[in-house]
Amino acid sequence: MKKGVCLVLTVILCALLLKSCIRRDNFSEIQTGNSSEITEVLNTEFPQNSKTVTINGVEYLQSQAPIGKFGGDLVTSTIGEGPKTFNPFNAKDNTSATMAEIMYDGLVTTHPKTGEVIPKLAKAFKISGNNYIIELRKGIKWSDGKEITADDVIFTWRDIIFAGYGNTSTRDSMVIAGQLPTVEKLGEYEVKFTTPQPFAPFLRLLATPIAPKHIFEPAVKKGKEYFDTFLSTNTNPESFVISGAFKLQEYIPAQRVVFVRNPNYYEINLEGKKLPYLDRLVYLIVGDINNEVLKFEGGELDVIGLHGANVARFKERESYSDYKIYNIGPDTGTMYLSMNLNTRKDSKGKFYVDPIKQKWFGDLNFRRAVDYAIDRKNMVLNVANGLGLPLFTPETLNSIFLNKDLKPYDRNTNKSRELLKQSGFYWDSNNKLYDKFGNRVEFNLYTNAGNTEREAIGVMVKQDLEDLGMKVNFKPIEFNSLVNKLVSTPDWDMVIMGFTGSPLEPNGGKNVWLSNGTLHLFNQRQPDEYNSPKLPFEQRLDYLMEQGALVINFDERKKYYDEYQKIVYDEKPFIYLYSPIRISAIRKKFGNIYPSELSGITYNLEEIYIKDKNR
Amino acid sequence: MDILRYILKRILQTIPLLILVSLISFFIIRLSPVDPLAELRLNPSISQETLEKEKIRLGLDKPIIVQYGLWAKSFVKGDLGVTSNGEQVSVKLKERIPNTLLLTVIVIFLSWIVGIPLGILAAINWKSSFDRILTVLTSIGMAIPSFFFAVLLLLFAVKTGWFPIGGLTSSNFSAMNFGNKFLDVTKHLILPVTVLFTISLAGLQRQMRGNLLDVLDSDYVKFARAKGVSEYSVICKHALRNAVNPLITLLGFEFAGLLSGAALTEYVFQYPGLGRLILEAVLKSDINLVMASLMIGAVMLILGNLLSDILLIITDPRIRGAK
Repeated sequence: MKKGVCLVLTVILCALLLKSCIRRDNFSEIQTGNSSEITEVLNTEFPQNSKTVTINGVEYLQSQAPIGKFGGDLVTSTIGEGPKTFNPFNAKDNTSATMAEIMYDGLVTTHPKTGEVIPKLAKAFKISGNNYIIELRKGIKWSDGKEITADDVIFTWRDIIFAGYGNTSTRDSMVIAGQLPTVEKLGEYEVKFTTPQPFAPFLRLLATPIAPKHIFEPAVKKGKEYFDTFLSTNTNPESFVISGAFKLQEYIPAQRVVFVRNPNYYEINLEGKKLPYLDRLVYLIVGDINNEVLKFEGGELDVIGLHGANVARFKERESYSDYKIYNIGPDTGTMYLSMNLNTRKDSKGKFYVDPIKQKWFGDLNFRRAVDYAIDRKNMVLNVANGLGLPLFTPETLNSIFLNKDLKPYDRNTNKSRELLKQSGFYWDSNNKLYDKFGNRVEFNLYTNAGNTEREAIGVMVKQDLEDLGMKVNFKPIEFNSLVNKLVSTPDWDMVIMGFTGSPLEPNGGKNVWLSNGTLHLFNQRQPDEYNSPKLPFEQRLDYLMEQGALVINFDERKKYYDEYQKIVYDEKPFIYLYSPIRISAIRKKFGNIYPSELSGITYNLEEIYIKDKNR
Repeated sequence: MDILRYILKRILQTIPLLILVSLISFFIIRLSPVDPLAELRLNPSISQETLEKEKIRLGLDKPIIVQYGLWAKSFVKGDLGVTSNGEQVSVKLKERIPNTLLLTVIVIFLSWIVGIPLGILAAINWKSSFDRILTVLTSIGMAIPSFFFAVLLLLFAVKTGWFPIGGLTSSNFSAMNFGNKFLDVTKHLILPVTVLFTISLAGLQRQMRGNLLDVLDSDYVKFARAKGVSEYSVICKHALRNAVNPLITLLGFEFAGLLSGAALTEYVFQYPGLGRLILEAVLKSDINLVMASLMIGAVMLILGNLLSDILLIITDPRIRGAK
């Protein structure tokens, strides 16, 4: 009898558990499928550019966005371990850099729509030849009440950045022919930068934060080692002196970073009141994407970037929820398939790449055949849940330098076969591909294991290429081994990788495109091979990348970068696959939200406010 | 006096053990193909010079054995070194240890205070419906994986909105008064404690029940009962004392798990404890941090065992005699 009761109880319990599973399964079935409607591109009407307004002798920056209400918090998140430092010059990772940029403004910033460089901490800038004359705002203050003057700018650039303190990547990228730019003071509110040669990327680098001299100088005097620990995450928040809209209030490891409004901020609204509107800005430190989604769903987060199946799920509920979903356009990362064009031998006289394969990969017809065989649309649909756009150029789709003449095309296996036939490849009765010397076309395809997106792409590439009769051995390997294979021992055939890019500055990709670059993956030269012969298109790319950086005028610059994109499009050293689309959701209660393809959704933190509930 | 000498001997024995543990772990971590610099290497905007500088700063340019030597030297001096981001390892650990201790101490306290009586009750009422229901419940508790249970509870928190979704404190924590702070932390602790408590309770209750049943079945208990001793003193005076010995060993292990036992649950709940820190460190091959945590784990295990052995000497005259 008792046993019977137990059995019944157990069965009921199991049934209840299973029931809950069933409900979830049905639920997720509804979620999939209708994501295409979100892919329409946003069309934001941005407010006019901010102006400079003088009130009582102080030259404020005036936001032209509609007037909002003061007060309230915005809670956002950062994935991972949180910031490593709050020193803007030590930041090596994205999170630290973001946090530092909230607190320290740079001289200039980027217009969210056009991508132009516009003044921020500076009142105006003038470029004449190699000289950049920066005029500063009069009377604006650091958060401790001291004035921001030319001395701070000079100190930041000469004594911190050019002197090589902290993270030196800004400095390294400015060395032109072994020389650094110089900076000199023209007046209390005027400085002049001079580059040794014309150097177009320099203007954007002026967005680097400016440090308060009276706070940073003692730290700089104590040497580089001390500077690396200066303003670390253990620093008392009270001791920060900042120029940005928000100042650190507390940092609780693995939980959150809280910023509070800077009452001395130099930006005002149309009524002349000091921004920012928000009282506090909270970054929750979350370990992974799933937790972030749960926190948004539970109402603990106000803004989130959505991925994959979550997009459709949230879109479905949008109409009766308190958030709005924005499509902020293609991601700045690129995903590509590359073949190894290396024809050199290692120190033991052995070829890095099998000479038989060298003939295939070095054959433009072969590369184009592979390109035509790849079904990008299918990848977007299956790997990116429909949230992506096929990509054909090294510059991402939101880049202001994108060459719009390079048209996308669909998969075309007939064309692939035609191209292969032209180069003497043939098929046997089982649709197996052989080259003109009778070698079976078989090679290895690598990517980094653990990246589910790239692994999925790898499987699809393998299928697409096997339709052409090639034999593809798909081998996801551990990230570090792969990097080593690509960079140090270039003994690979084909690889699927991705790079992060910049939609504003193609010169950031010079390590990839210069024939002696450190990431010139498709034909990686070791330091002792820098004088080895270069392919004709490599020589042209070298010329274009070098010249592109030397021209200041945007339209003239774009000609160089258009041609470089055309070369990559034609020669296919990298076969670009697709760009994921970024989707963000933010609560409707926030006003002055102007999503931008270039800057994201919360770039104008000082203008964002919380609307009245009854409106 | 004997006990003191015994303890001293045990402590001396741990030294070669610790050296071995550290050697093995150091080499396994360093020989694993995780490169702390791989991310930087594939970033187009990082220059070769920066990479070289990082390599030297992290000591990756030296042979492994030299790296180990340097680590061991500073470890002996009590310096745990710096993380790959240049922060002091000891500071990082200090931030997290109290949080983890808060969680695990509550769980251990609750599970012992509830688990032991439940085990005793179940053993006394052997084969009653009370015992059976407990058996079903504890079987479920033992069978359910902690991370899965944690995820279920998180979903529950999202759907109902009754509990915060992970973390330890709310974002306006610093502005609260003491009472509200206490409530806030309690609210955040309920779900992770529930997960760990359920699992640890189940094991403990089963253990206690089994031990007591064994003892109750033994001759001397039968004899005591036959002699007419009251049931209360049979159980409390005779049976319990003997049944509790294996639990003391268990207590030693619980002690070892104080700092590392909750890692998975901590990760799912985004609890700011040691577990999450160390998992992230392992993924990045942040050698000093990982080594520090492994050494802490080893020391805690050794200490836990030592503690339970000493307790056993005190409670069990048989062991005292045998030595």
